[in-house]
Amino acid sequence: MSDGEHHPSAWGPHDWSHGAPHNSWSPFILSMGVAIFLFSLGAAYEWGEFQGWGSLPLIFVGLGVISFSLLVWWRQDMSFGMHGEVFEPKSTGTPFQNIDIRKVAMWMFLMSEMMVFTSLFSTYMRYRLGIPNCKTVFHSGEWVEGTAVTCFEPAGHLIASSWFHIAPGAINTFALIISSFTIVQALRYAKKKDIDEDVRRRKVTRYLGTTWFLAILFLTLKMIEWFLGFPLPEFLHEFNHGDSEIKSLYAEGYLINADSYEHKAFDTDYIEKHPEDYSIPEESALYAMMEAGTHPGGKMMANIQVSATTFYVTTGTHGAHVLGGIIGLTYMTLKAAKGGYTPDNAVSIEYFGLYWHFVDLVWVLVFPFFYLY
Amino acid sequence: MRSRTKGAIAVLLVISAMLALPSAQSLPAGISGVQQSGCNCHGAVPSDSVVASIDGLPESYNYSETYNITVSFQGGPSQEGNVNQGGFHLWASQGSLGVNDATAQLYNENEVGHTEAGNDQVAWTLTWTAPATDTNVDFILHVNSVNGNADGAGGGTSGDMWNKLTITLGGPVEVLEAADPFVVLGVLIIVSATLLAFTLVFVFYRKDPEAFDWDNFAPWLADWLTSTDHKKIGTLYFIAGLFFLGVGGIMAMIIRIQLSVPGNDFLTQEQYNQFFTLHGTTMIFLAAMPMINGFANWMIPLQLGAADLALPRINAMSFWLQPFAALLIFTGVFSGHGADTGWTGYAPYVVSEGAHYGTTMWAAGQIMLVASSTLTGINFLTTMAVMRAPGMGWMQMPLFSWSVLIANVMLFLSIPAFGVGLIQVYLDRVIGTAFYDIAAGGDPLLWSHLFWYFGHPEVYVVIVPSFGIISEVIATSSRRSVFGYRSMVYALAGIGVVAFIVYGHHMFTSGMSPTLRFVTMLTTMLVAVPTGIKIFNWLMTMHGGSLVYRTHTLWALGFLITFTLGGISGMFFPSIAMDTHLHESYFVVAHFHYVLVGGTVFGFFAGIYYWWPKATGKMLSEKLGVLHFLTAFVSYNALFWPMHRLGVWGMTRRHHTYFVTTEEALGSLPMEAAGWNMFITVSGFIFFFSNFIMVFNMIVSSVRGEDAPDDPWGGWSFEWMTSSPPPNHTLYKLNDGSWGLPTLEDANEHIANEPGWLSSWFQRLMVTDQETGETGEASH
Amino acid sequence: MAHYKILGQDPYWMNFYGLMILTLIEVLAVGADLDSFAESVGTEEKVITLWILTIIAIPKFIMIAAIFMHLYGDEDSGILTMTALFPAFFIIIMVLFVGLTHPDAASSLPAWCRPGTYGL
Repeated sequence: MSDGEHHPSAWGPHDWSHGAPHNSWSPFILSMGVAIFLFSLGAAYEWGEFQGWGSLPLIFVGLGVISFSLLVWWRQDMSFGMHGEVFEPKSTGTPFQNIDIRKVAMWMFLMSEMMVFTSLFSTYMRYRLGIPNCKTVFHSGEWVEGTAVTCFEPAGHLIASSWFHIAPGAINTFALIISSFTIVQALRYAKKKDIDEDVRRRKVTRYLGTTWFLAILFLTLKMIEWFLGFPLPEFLHEFNHGDSEIKSLYAEGYLINADSYEHKAFDTDYIEKHPEDYSIPEESALYAMMEAGTHPGGKMMANIQVSATTFYVTTGTHGAHVLGGIIGLTYMTLKAAKGGYTPDNAVSIEYFGLYWHFVDLVWVLVFPFFYLY
Repeated sequence: MRSRTKGAIAVLLVISAMLALPSAQSLPAGISGVQQSGCNCHGAVPSDSVVASIDGLPESYNYSETYNITVSFQGGPSQEGNVNQGGFHLWASQGSLGVNDATAQLYNENEVGHTEAGNDQVAWTLTWTAPATDTNVDFILHVNSVNGNADGAGGGTSGDMWNKLTITLGGPVEVLEAADPFVVLGVLIIVSATLLAFTLVFVFYRKDPEAFDWDNFAPWLADWLTSTDHKKIGTLYFIAGLFFLGVGGIMAMIIRIQLSVPGNDFLTQEQYNQFFTLHGTTMIFLAAMPMINGFANWMIPLQLGAADLALPRINAMSFWLQPFAALLIFTGVFSGHGADTGWTGYAPYVVSEGAHYGTTMWAAGQIMLVASSTLTGINFLTTMAVMRAPGMGWMQMPLFSWSVLIANVMLFLSIPAFGVGLIQVYLDRVIGTAFYDIAAGGDPLLWSHLFWYFGHPEVYVVIVPSFGIISEVIATSSRRSVFGYRSMVYALAGIGVVAFIVYGHHMFTSGMSPTLRFVTMLTTMLVAVPTGIKIFNWLMTMHGGSLVYRTHTLWALGFLITFTLGGISGMFFPSIAMDTHLHESYFVVAHFHYVLVGGTVFGFFAGIYYWWPKATGKMLSEKLGVLHFLTAFVSYNALFWPMHRLGVWGMTRRHHTYFVTTEEALGSLPMEAAGWNMFITVSGFIFFFSNFIMVFNMIVSSVRGEDAPDDPWGGWSFEWMTSSPPPNHTLYKLNDGSWGLPTLEDANEHIANEPGWLSSWFQRLMVTDQETGETGEASH
Repeated sequence: MAHYKILGQDPYWMNFYGLMILTLIEVLAVGADLDSFAESVGTEEKVITLWILTIIAIPKFIMIAAIFMHLYGDEDSGILTMTALFPAFFIIIMVLFVGLTHPDAASSLPAWCRPGTYGL
């Protein structure tokens, strides 16, 4: 505010010929929205039990306030690079000499994101290695029908059990890789100097729109895999253990409060009838018991709350990052449609892309270790 | 724009007020069913004409004593001499009820009612045996007054009315009658906040008495709420930090009142738990961290010769997350169900139903603080990596900047572990996941690991910036550059790395992996090496210099003494065998208060006295400053030194009271412990109030302090090249006499100008363009 | 932006093809019946699958980081790679200390380390 003429609005849109925004309401409002949201969510549920409708309106107030603050933030930034002036401060010191400050900041942010996912993976490792595997317990025969044993049931055991179960996760993997590709394509066209402005606008919008669509597809498939399930045409039933649909993890009973989880893989009666589906290793104690006809009962019940918790929270955190990406992509697609990306400010796409590729990288690790293994 | 701003402020205030309202309340256990529904068989509405009463209850009960009580009613349609006159139902939440004769019957020990035989009377005698513990007892009495049977048998017309009586009875200490410490705390917080608000309005009034009206005030306030200027945000951080330092101090004083005499009952165990939890959380997250950010916000851009931080709006975001997080953390206090887990929040208690409901909000608030710290870390690291004045290499950065750099590296690499742990706790408590549910195989040690993976770097995060401040202060006061600049930097970096591999020493007695226990024992002993290097460097700086005694110098010298003492007591803990004996005792309390108060807070005070003239343009009074130092230093040592003794005697922390005895018995303290505790409490109060000298000093200085010169102490880092106070967009006085953004050539020769071997190695490796002076434009 | 070519083709497209193929191999590796192969090398199918998945995840990781995130071929790639690798030490510490310390460690101590054996 060194020059008297310039009175930037705290609501935006911002005049970028005067440098970075001076005042903004969005930090204040966003913080308030987050507080309201966390508060009302904590008051609405306790230990998974719904506490009545009292706090629910406040949850939506919180989400509304958050959305409003994001709109204010967007409104201030939407004009960035639209009218030719680009404000892109560069690093003045070693070792990042002449690199855009925004790029350095994004990498710093990704460093802390690495630690977030390391914490989640450490939690997973600790439980995966520290709690006996359900299959091992089942094969040991040291269980009694009707009493739940605490054991670790990796989600991969359910998901990797048939091609159809694995389908949503596998399609998601491809969706994320394709979206990583489309966003670098958007960057490539935004940076191209030798094409017509209108062509550039259309190309960038389409590639960003595709990325946006793939991100939405990712979350939709995740919902199918977690909660919704998917009906199969009849001729496929025989390939899916005779089930008429891709059962969701919810329908399989793979839940954070599953203290008496049952699965046909842990059912000696079922296995005796369908030996081709779930074979029992011949050297295991259970095999000897079943041969001798003295096995401990039909179904093993398992308390798998910890397994489900680590699975849902880790993949859910990744999903939340995808959701964050969708919020950013919505803004960028809208801006691209207005012709907001030119070779001068195309780096915005690159820096968002860093985040987006990072989300993809995390999935590269989450997919094998949570879905396949 | 103006009306919009006004409207926005009004809406925001209303929503903040809504947020502050206590609504995370629970129903007291067991109020349901018959004792509340009333006598439905006798009509839905109670009647005022029936008056119920219970006689024979004391004002407050004695433990386990049996009382004869009489329940009776008057009024209503009942008539004397009828067969059916009325009935009653009495429910007592605690203790056990009993009957004397056949006119009443016992349903269970909490419920009693009349029998058929008791229908023809209006008074019944009963017994009630008081509970053996101190608690509030609720009595709910329903009576109905009847006028005979409907068929006229026994006379009457079947008139029927009922009413209800509720009595609450306290235990021997009359918990209802005594001043509730939470009320004390709440009142003090509200009074402080009101004072703060009045001060704010007064500051606005002083700015321009002519323009003192709402139309000018709203945009002024809006400017503070929306500002992204590093100096304004730094000031906001300071206001928040000092405010919560006071609030945390009030909680400490309430704790000390409780502990002043053995067997005190000023606080119940439950209240004490909440007080020490909130004291720790407030002091670390809401006082120390904001003050560090306040110093860093103000001084980092000035010391680097930059115009602002790299990401100003993210900076505003970091700040504003904190007050709202504080609201969430304190929600529990206002509803009387604050977090009672300790600031460490150990699992599985933190996710058990025994922990108060406020714990959920405590976790939620800290999740926001984690977000804030992450953003702060990103912002400062980026700033220091990219916005140093042209030519200023890593090894020319002032030591305060270095310390903030190291602190933020530690902070933002470790705090994600804490954030993930808190989200796990929040999800466990809210949606019922099973991270720490032992029955489901959850591992409570996981929380300790995640917490201390963050927690140990965190305690270095709060001490390391103080090292930086002390380095600046001692160098300036000794009138020479700091001794062993490079070894100082490497010592800081060493502390930063070692911080991550020592955290296991907080868990020696928790049953964690013995291998890890052994490893962390060795690494913890290693911490003494870089810290020792720093201490000796400071001593050597003074040895080779010519010391000028200013208030900030005194605080720095005080820091050297107290921090060294705290460091030495810290060296007892790495030894596993020693730690097993001393853990959870007041020896630990003494140790970490010696480093956190004698280290961190003394460093802050030095920093405040050192940079106040630069930030405000007014001098602080040296006389008041010296008075503050003397009273605070003496009372501080009197406060915490005896705690070492108490700890060795075996006084345990986190317990709401203690007992002394002349006998040699396990778990008891000698008689002298009582006297020492009273001495500690008195010293504590002196220390608490001595700090108001500084507040008074600040007020006097702002109102009629003398104007400060640009460089009152003869410091030579970049911040002293600006005017006092610096203008909104900082300008520096350059070598040629003009004002602008500096390069290293403008710096005083005292800024170390030899690059270290590590940084020159990095430079050869990374940077192809050696022309560091010829860079693109800085952020404007 | 990439200033180089892979096999004379556009790097983004080539990277994209490579990632798709590797992911396909991953999914096939899980579906394929590797029992006989596993027995021939004396281990379980699960272990073979995990090895395949881990080995494929590494090049995928590098391909995304190097080409899509421009950690290869740009003038600032060197220092940004160093930045990205900076947390490696802290990640290793966390995985070792938090992820891989056994929860039952104290109760599964070797006999010579238990109370009661001090006298030898």
